Amino acid sequence: MLGRRGSLWFLAVPPYLWLIALFLMPLGVVAAISLLPGSGRIDFSGGWPSLNQYQQVLETPAYLRRLGISVGMAFVIAASATILAYPIAYFLAFRARQRATIFLVLLLVPFASSYLLRVMAWKLLLGREGAINWVLTSVGLVKEPVGLLVYSQAAVVITLVYVWIPFAALPIYAALQRVDRSHLEAAADLGAGPWTRFGRITIPLSLPGVLATFFMVFIPTVGEYVTPSLVGGIDGLMYGNLIQDFFTRAGNWPLGSAMAVLMLLAVLILVTLALRLVDLRRVAP
Amino acid sequence: MPARIPHVPAWFIAFASAALVLAACQNQGGTSGSPGASAPASAGATESAAANEPNELTVLEWSGYEAPDFWTDFKTASPDTAVDFEFGISDADILSLMEGGSAADIFHFYTGWQQFYVDEGLVQEIDTSKLTNWDKVPDAFKAMGQVNGKQYYLPWDWGFTSILYNTSKVSGTIDTWNALFNQSYAGHISMWDDGPAAVTVSSYIHNYDETKITADQLAAIEAEWKLQKPLNLHYWTGEYTDFCPEVQSGDIWVAYAWQGCYATVLYDQSQPVAYANPKEGRNSWVGLYGISANTESYDLALKFLDAKLAALTCGNAVTLFYYGCANQEVMNAIEDPVLIQAFGIDDPSILESTNFTPPVTQKQRDDWTAMWARVKAE
Amino acid sequence: MSAGSEVRRPSSAVGVGRTRVPLGLAYALMIVFLYLPIGVLFVFSFSTNKNLRFPIQGYTIDWYAQIFQNEQLLTAARNSLVVGFLAATVATGLGLAAGIAVVRFRFAGRGLLLALAGAPLVVPFIMLAVALFLLFNLLDVPRSLVTIAAGHSVIALPYAALILLSRLIGLDPALEDAAMDLGASYPTTLRRIVIPLLGPSLLSAWLTCFIVSFDEVALAVFLAGRDQTFPVFLYGQLRFAQTLPVMIAMAVLLMVGTVALTLVAFAIRSRSE
Repeated sequence: MLGRRGSLWFLAVPPYLWLIALFLMPLGVVAAISLLPGSGRIDFSGGWPSLNQYQQVLETPAYLRRLGISVGMAFVIAASATILAYPIAYFLAFRARQRATIFLVLLLVPFASSYLLRVMAWKLLLGREGAINWVLTSVGLVKEPVGLLVYSQAAVVITLVYVWIPFAALPIYAALQRVDRSHLEAAADLGAGPWTRFGRITIPLSLPGVLATFFMVFIPTVGEYVTPSLVGGIDGLMYGNLIQDFFTRAGNWPLGSAMAVLMLLAVLILVTLALRLVDLRRVAP
Repeated sequence: MPARIPHVPAWFIAFASAALVLAACQNQGGTSGSPGASAPASAGATESAAANEPNELTVLEWSGYEAPDFWTDFKTASPDTAVDFEFGISDADILSLMEGGSAADIFHFYTGWQQFYVDEGLVQEIDTSKLTNWDKVPDAFKAMGQVNGKQYYLPWDWGFTSILYNTSKVSGTIDTWNALFNQSYAGHISMWDDGPAAVTVSSYIHNYDETKITADQLAAIEAEWKLQKPLNLHYWTGEYTDFCPEVQSGDIWVAYAWQGCYATVLYDQSQPVAYANPKEGRNSWVGLYGISANTESYDLALKFLDAKLAALTCGNAVTLFYYGCANQEVMNAIEDPVLIQAFGIDDPSILESTNFTPPVTQKQRDDWTAMWARVKAE
Repeated sequence: MSAGSEVRRPSSAVGVGRTRVPLGLAYALMIVFLYLPIGVLFVFSFSTNKNLRFPIQGYTIDWYAQIFQNEQLLTAARNSLVVGFLAATVATGLGLAAGIAVVRFRFAGRGLLLALAGAPLVVPFIMLAVALFLLFNLLDVPRSLVTIAAGHSVIALPYAALILLSRLIGLDPALEDAAMDLGASYPTTLRRIVIPLLGPSLLSAWLTCFIVSFDEVALAVFLAGRDQTFPVFLYGQLRFAQTLPVMIAMAVLLMVGTVALTLVAFAIRSRSE
């Protein structure tokens, strides 16, 4: 009979192996590519390793500025999405309860259709001939339809927050399930009002979920490129767009890889610093 | 009360997953494109070109072109040949896939990337004497497929690049590429999101030699596009996803555009538009097919390419996708007035005043894309 | 009931009591905003319009009919479903294993496993796509739907891990201890106690992973062999004007299909309770 300790092997080893083979090794490949001196066909014989690509990136202030802007945008988006997702998660955990699954699924199902098409539909609604302008002009607030409400940095932030909320609700919802009714009942019996119960019991207990959510949204958003290319216009560009361009337009994998590695390092440093601020031991058993 | 999930036995999950994996692997053999059968090669095929060649072809194509409409003549002539498709979504992709050892016999890409395949020995010459439709191809297009004087590629689809503009918002006629820099259209211009394209436009305006852009010239180009940046509504990437809808709604007045959206708007009459004939000349890009240097089905590949130029197949590119086709007879036979206008078919000199995209070296591509990245990142 | 307490017995209004924060409204608003573009697509899928512009010119079910005549489209959709299913199952399974290991055990590589499980989030998809492409090339692994699924499982794993971790942290280990004290082996404990308790979180994790895989393009292009997934196919088709209506119809159909499937699964589940 498999004991508890023995089970650890079956639990820990498969994810380890999978991630080493399909993540760490490819990452190593990318790091190796980033050290190639030039672009073109991948050839490690001439002049490898070289810091050419990193030099090129670090010598272009515009790239670094974009990285900074992307980090800032990602922070705002993650914070907003986490805060706005909390009521949704709360609804699922406490109001929906038995039916929570179906409510949850309803939230996620729109993502099973094409994101590109949904954004196009939104552009239609928000555009010159769309619903918003139709309302504005028929009510008489504006005489001429307002030009496209999309294509700006703000549009990128709003769109990404909108897209992230359903997913952001999930870890919070998962954590809120840990809030035992009896804790809250006991607190109520002891005279704690609803907001006190919320602040002293619910929020702290759901903190792992909140943190998980924040990082889950923040980390990939730094490298986001799809949404900025669809609604960003000329000033909503993010660092990920630059990486994407170097990979798919220019065919310049070494430069793209170097930019990606730098982004990875930046995020790693930021996350490590953030985790120092939050004492994980207080949050996990 | 914690929700319960049904007790699904572990063996069932394992079995279902294994079945799915098997199903996924099986599919490698026959896919979209093969004529009904799932086996990659049919023994005893009677229509194979050479006795010792396998009767199957793999084509590395752009998604969308695998539809039977775009190789229908070949399908009719050689119904027993299995044609499989691999896919790429950009020129850089296609090159990476070929460099990565794709087993494709034929690949399709667009002008500007010709010499990379030649330099790396990925392509072999086309024996044009075996092509029955070769004489219908105008010389300008044949030249596009040549590198160092050798015919490596077969031109198939092509199109123009010029300025598409809304005649109700723009006074007068636009006759120069400089219109993209015109302040009076601020906020309503759209440039294609591509560095080499920006260099091309600048070289037309300032009469630079596109193949020999110097560092000073590139710096000047970078500066002027940085100044141009705020005039754009956005840089467009997908012709029908984020470009044409904005033209149709009247948000974009002046744009760097291919003829497809022009034809679309002429058809649906959403806005009055015109397609410029700039004094510097329009640009033209050409789609090229190459035969892999490692193919085992050379003659079959030639048959496939020849069939691409046949009237029906080539014509479908025109009617279905609003692209030009390298078979001039097909172009001359077009009767649709919208398409005639879009392709300037009633203007026989149009191709002579058109600048075809020259091949670009790796260094140029690197410099120009880096330049554009700096413009965008500013 | 404690003396002097005027608080209603918090049975249905747990956590909020008398202040009725309109949470239902927040949820409803979110649903409205989420489904508004879907509604637009739905309407257009039945219109004779060739493009996404008002006014609607006429109504037709032609586009849906054309879906079933388009062999490549159906194949691409089916491929996406297969890949999504595989990727989601692998990612959820591995995320679960890693989550349990990290939360319940102390071992040497614990922190590293957690970091590794979350790490794919940092990497842009295109980068991993290129990296895996080169790796598979080097190892002569033929590309197919399975390689796409493998790639997707890696990018989806962090989502599964994060969701399951959030739930696992709150799970009282006393329940497992009790089961084992009563003689159950650890695997049985996991199967009979832990996993059922995780119920909705497992579903959320699986569904999230499925969705991450379903609409993903970069990995799907680089790791594909002969078979396209739906988003790659869509991307290619949208290069041309005339294909838009059928693609819209397909996107709506896929979404409706997903809803139908989950409703069926839910119904089966309710019946088994």
